[in-house]
Amino acid sequence: MNLQLFVNGLVNASLIAPPAIAFTLLFGVLRFPNFAIGGYITVGAFMAYTANVIFAWPLVAATLFAMAVTALVVWLSDVVVFAPLRNQEPVTLLVVSIAFSLILENLVRLFFASDVRGFDIPLERPIKVMGARITPEQLDILMLAFAITVAVHVVLRFTRFGKAMRAVADNPVLAQVRGLSLRWITAGTCALAGAIFGLTGVFAGLDLVIEPLIGWNLTIPIFAAAILGGIGSPMGALVGAICVGMAEELTILVLPSTYKIAVGFLIIAVFLLLRPQGLFGQPEIKK
Amino acid sequence: MAINLTRRNALKLGAATAVFAPSILRAQGAEINVGSLTPNTGGGGPFGPNITASHKRVADLVNGQGGVLGRQIRLYQENSETNPETAVRAADKLINVNGVVGILGTWSSSVTLGIMPKCQTAGVIQMCTSSSSDIPMADEKGLVFNFQALSPVWGDAIAKLAVTRGYGSYGLMALNNDFTKSMVDAFAAVVGADKVIKEPLYYNAAQASYRSEVTSLIEDEPDAVFIPSYVTDFTAVYKELYRQGYEGAVITTGLSVGPKFKEAVGDAADGVIHGLPVPPLESPAYGEYLKEAGLEDTGNVQHPFGTAGRDQMSTLLLAIEKAGTTDTAAVAKAIWQVTTGEGKRTVYNVTDGLAAIRAGEEINYSGASSSIEFDAEGMVLGRDFQLAEIRGGEDVVLERLKF
Repeated sequence: MNLQLFVNGLVNASLIAPPAIAFTLLFGVLRFPNFAIGGYITVGAFMAYTANVIFAWPLVAATLFAMAVTALVVWLSDVVVFAPLRNQEPVTLLVVSIAFSLILENLVRLFFASDVRGFDIPLERPIKVMGARITPEQLDILMLAFAITVAVHVVLRFTRFGKAMRAVADNPVLAQVRGLSLRWITAGTCALAGAIFGLTGVFAGLDLVIEPLIGWNLTIPIFAAAILGGIGSPMGALVGAICVGMAEELTILVLPSTYKIAVGFLIIAVFLLLRPQGLFGQPEIKK
Repeated sequence: MAINLTRRNALKLGAATAVFAPSILRAQGAEINVGSLTPNTGGGGPFGPNITASHKRVADLVNGQGGVLGRQIRLYQENSETNPETAVRAADKLINVNGVVGILGTWSSSVTLGIMPKCQTAGVIQMCTSSSSDIPMADEKGLVFNFQALSPVWGDAIAKLAVTRGYGSYGLMALNNDFTKSMVDAFAAVVGADKVIKEPLYYNAAQASYRSEVTSLIEDEPDAVFIPSYVTDFTAVYKELYRQGYEGAVITTGLSVGPKFKEAVGDAADGVIHGLPVPPLESPAYGEYLKEAGLEDTGNVQHPFGTAGRDQMSTLLLAIEKAGTTDTAAVAKAIWQVTTGEGKRTVYNVTDGLAAIRAGEEINYSGASSSIEFDAEGMVLGRDFQLAEIRGGEDVVLERLKF
C-alpha cells in the first residue's frame, strides 16, 4: 500500500507542478499572486471538452485548442482587468484576481451548466509495477509534466525570451531602460502560463471530472506548492508540487481523510510564518 | 425641459413618494410571498432546476386561476449552491427582506439543517427533500415537512439487495455529510458488522484527488464497496476505483449515477448497482406531472425531485387555502389536514384541491413524488424505492419496492 501511496503522490504532483510553475512565472512578471488560476484551469478543461466531445476532435488536437484559448484568456485578462490596476497594491490585485476567477467559473456555468462531464476517451485499467498500479494515461501525464518543467527551465535559462523574462522579474524598470518591451514580455509570459493552465485543465479533466469547480479545487495545492518552493522559482515550484502531492496522499496514514484538504492550508501557513521566501526563493529586502 | 434636481426638489420628490407609496406597498402586502431555495449548482445541480421549475409552474397556475385566499403568489427563487453557507445567506434574505411564509425546495440535508434555526426563529415553514435522520429532531416547532424518505430507509433497502447477492465482505466509503453517514450506518446494520472490513472512510467533496482514499478502501479486496455520495464526487471516486483495478461490485445511490455519470465514464459504468426513492409511476399525479413538464412517458423514472417540487408548492397552497390564513402555525396544521388521513376525497393536483376545499370538502392530496402522507413529525411516511443495475449504459430495474 505504501508504494501505491507513493505513486499516488507522484501522480498528484504531476497535476500540481506545471500550474505551480506557471503561477510563479506570472508572479515574477506581474508582481502579484494571481488567484484566477482556478478560473483559467476551468476554462482550459471546458475548451478541451468542447473540442473533444462537441466538435469530436482527437484529444491531442483538443488539448492544443484548449492551450491556445486559455493563453488568449490569460493575456486578455491581463490587458483588460489587471493592467489598469498595475499601480495598485498587490493585495488589491489578489482580491481582484479571486473575483475574476469567480467570474470565469460562472461564465463557464452559464454556457455549460453544473453537470459533470468527461472526455470522449475510455477509462483505462491499470498496469502493475512492483505491486503498485498506474494507468498508461497517468504515465503520460507524469512524463508530460516532467517535460514541461524541463522545457520551462530551458526557456528561462537559455533563450532570449527567457532571459528577458528573468530580467523583467528581477527589475522591471532597469529591464525597460535596457530596451526590453515590458508589454511584449508580459504578453509572452501570459501566453506561456495560459497554455500551461490550459494543459492542466486537460490533465485535471482526465483525472477528476470536468465541472465548473475543477480549477478552484486545485488552487490551494497549487498555491501551496508555489509558496513551499518559493514564489518566483520554477524549479522550487516543482519540488513544492512533489512535497504537497506526497503530503496530501500520505496524510491518510495518520489522519482521517476529511483533514486532507487542510494540508495545503497548513503548508501555506507554516511557510509564510517561518520561511516566507520558501525553499528556493530569494528573501525580499525592503528598504 | 431641464429638470433641476436640487436638494430641495429631491426632498419634495421623496415626500411625494412616501405619500403615494402605501398603495404600492398595500398591493405587495396582498401577495403571499413564498421562497424557493433549490440546489441549482453544486452536488444537487442536476436536480435543482427541475424543482425550481415545478415551484414556478404551480405558482403560475394558481395565480392564473386567481391565487389563494384571493391573493396572488409571489415566488422568490434563490440558488443554495448545495452549500449551507450560501443557503443561510439566501434564507436570511428570503425571511427578512422578502417576508416569505415558507422556504421550499432545499435538497441537501446540511442545507435544510443549516437554515433551520433561522426558519424556526422566524416561524417560517420548510419543505425539503432531505434524508438526514437529524431533521425531525431539529424541528422543534413542527414547521418542517420532508418529502423524501430518511436515509436509513435508503441504506436498509440497498443493503437488503446486496445481501441477496451474497457478497462476503464490504468496504464502506462515503461523502462526509449527514445524509450519507446515517445511510452507511443503516447499510452496515443490515449486511452485518462482521462483513464490513474496516471503519467507514469519509471524504470531503471538492478534493483535489481521491487516490489514497480509494487505495485504502480496496486494500483488503472487499467483494463489494458501498459509496453513498453525490454525482460530482462519486464520478471522480469511481474513475479512481476503475483505474486502480477494482473488479468487485460497486454499490451507491441513484443520485450519483444519472445520465451525466454514464456519459462521463462511458462503458466503465456497467455493473454499478444503485437505489433511489422514486415517484409512483402509475399515479395519476405523476402522469399529470410528465405532461406539465413536457416529458414523454418512457415507463422509467424521470425527475425524482422535480415531482417533489410540484408536491411541495401544491401542498403549501392547499394548506393556506384550508387554513384561511397565512399564519404559519395554522398553515402547518393544515398541511396534515390536506395530505394525511383516510376517508377524504383524493386529489392529484392543486386545481382540483382548491376547488374541493372551496366547496367545503375534506381532501387528501396524493402527489407526483409519493402519496404524501406525513407522520407526526412531518416526515413523509414512505416512497416507492427502485433498485437498479447499469447494463449496456442503461439502468436495468432489478426491483421496485412499493410503499
